[in-house]
Amino acid sequence: MKKENQQTNSEDDCPVAPIAGVVYGDIIYWGTIAGTFIVIAGSIMTFVTKNNYIDPNYLLSSIWEGRTVEEIWTGAVGAQPDGHWYLSQLGTGNGLTAGGIALSIFSVIPGILGAAFVLFREKQVLFGSLAIVGAIIILAAMIG
Amino acid sequence: MAALLKRVPELTLLVLVTILAYVIMGTYSQVSGTEALTPFAAWAIVAGSLVLSTIIAIVAVVGGVGGGVIFTPVMLGFTSVDTLLVRSTGLVVAMFSGLVSSGPFMRKGLADIRIVFYCAIPIIIGAMAGSQVAIELSENMGETGDAIVRLLLGGILIFIALMFILGGSNTEYPQPKKIDKFSKKMNLKSRYWEESLGKTVHYHATRAISGSILFLLVGFTGGFFGLGGGWAVVPVLNLVMAVPLKVSAASSGVLLAIGNAAAIWPYFVKGALIAVFAAPWMIGQVIGGILGAHILAKVKASFVRNILIVLLLLTSIKLVARGVEGLLGIDIPLL
Repeated sequence: MKKENQQTNSEDDCPVAPIAGVVYGDIIYWGTIAGTFIVIAGSIMTFVTKNNYIDPNYLLSSIWEGRTVEEIWTGAVGAQPDGHWYLSQLGTGNGLTAGGIALSIFSVIPGILGAAFVLFREKQVLFGSLAIVGAIIILAAMIG
Repeated sequence: MAALLKRVPELTLLVLVTILAYVIMGTYSQVSGTEALTPFAAWAIVAGSLVLSTIIAIVAVVGGVGGGVIFTPVMLGFTSVDTLLVRSTGLVVAMFSGLVSSGPFMRKGLADIRIVFYCAIPIIIGAMAGSQVAIELSENMGETGDAIVRLLLGGILIFIALMFILGGSNTEYPQPKKIDKFSKKMNLKSRYWEESLGKTVHYHATRAISGSILFLLVGFTGGFFGLGGGWAVVPVLNLVMAVPLKVSAASSGVLLAIGNAAAIWPYFVKGALIAVFAAPWMIGQVIGGILGAHILAKVKASFVRNILIVLLLLTSIKLVARGVEGLLGIDIPLL
């Protein structure tokens, strides 16, 4: 029987990366980097301006003292959030930082859809369908 | 390092902007002091987190385990930060090095997109279920729930360390004796250029059904504990499905990003992810993730895994001790 996992050393045999993978990787890569620059901007805003949804030192002190998530939010704004609170606070340091993190995480969805598109074009219907299912589940988790 | 920064201009820009940002944050801080933290201490926490996160990301990407395996147990074992906060930030640490390393891994052909999508569905479903149960447990069981989480996590870490030890070094290029019918039908085969050998390695994944069942469990524990699940993705791909170690490590990072992208939203919308605390960990993971992805092609992953085994065993001792302390109300004198 031919061994499935074997090694060859011909330079001509050097494989080309699958396009679906490259599309997926590039969308997520640049989406994450864009989100990271937003997070950096939000972090500067949090520390060097007073324009914050919640005082950053209150947050860090509370976290360091071991207070629970509920206690921290209740002490700051009266109640724990239940939804995408940062979308209405993008003009504040906290909101912009959270928005940058969210954007990076969100980039997974267009990344998967881009790869699925390529897979369908290459007639790899099964893997394209699996990708679509994955994107739908993540979207459902995001919407809540 | 200098050559890498030259070859990847976005990394250079990111590193420079981050350094400048943290200098500005420290110099022009408008943060008011509290009883617990001075403004400088607040800045020191975020700056220290950034440095630590970068180091963790490099180690995690090269080892293919995801940074959550290091971050979450260490924070739960050695700090008093709330377990839900640690676990949500742990998912950030677990997923961002995987997110950003997806680009280099896919371009090099190291990660296998078809294996990733095949394994992603059970991981996503398990991860979402795990994070929901974690939030429920935290809301209903308080300190007892925290102690149980620490104890269980300590046990899991010992199990992971043993798995890495018993896996040994014979798994870099596994040779399956037989490819089952289902795996053949799925056609989960591919090849990649192994830089360290100067050769192309061909492989065909096997035991696809067993793999998907295990990934469901991996996703659940990853979402529940905030570990991300990378610790088990590599062994399942490598030891069960016979995927070469380097492809397993690269695909693991990509899979983590997908699985955790689903697991993190329940934490996010409940406010369990606090941006000012999570931001430096996220930035460090992105910088370290790009560095690690470029290093992985050139190093022997087994070296990093030996370091991880020691770290996992040491942390598990502390976690088990804290879990027992919380449950029995006794004091166990450990660092």
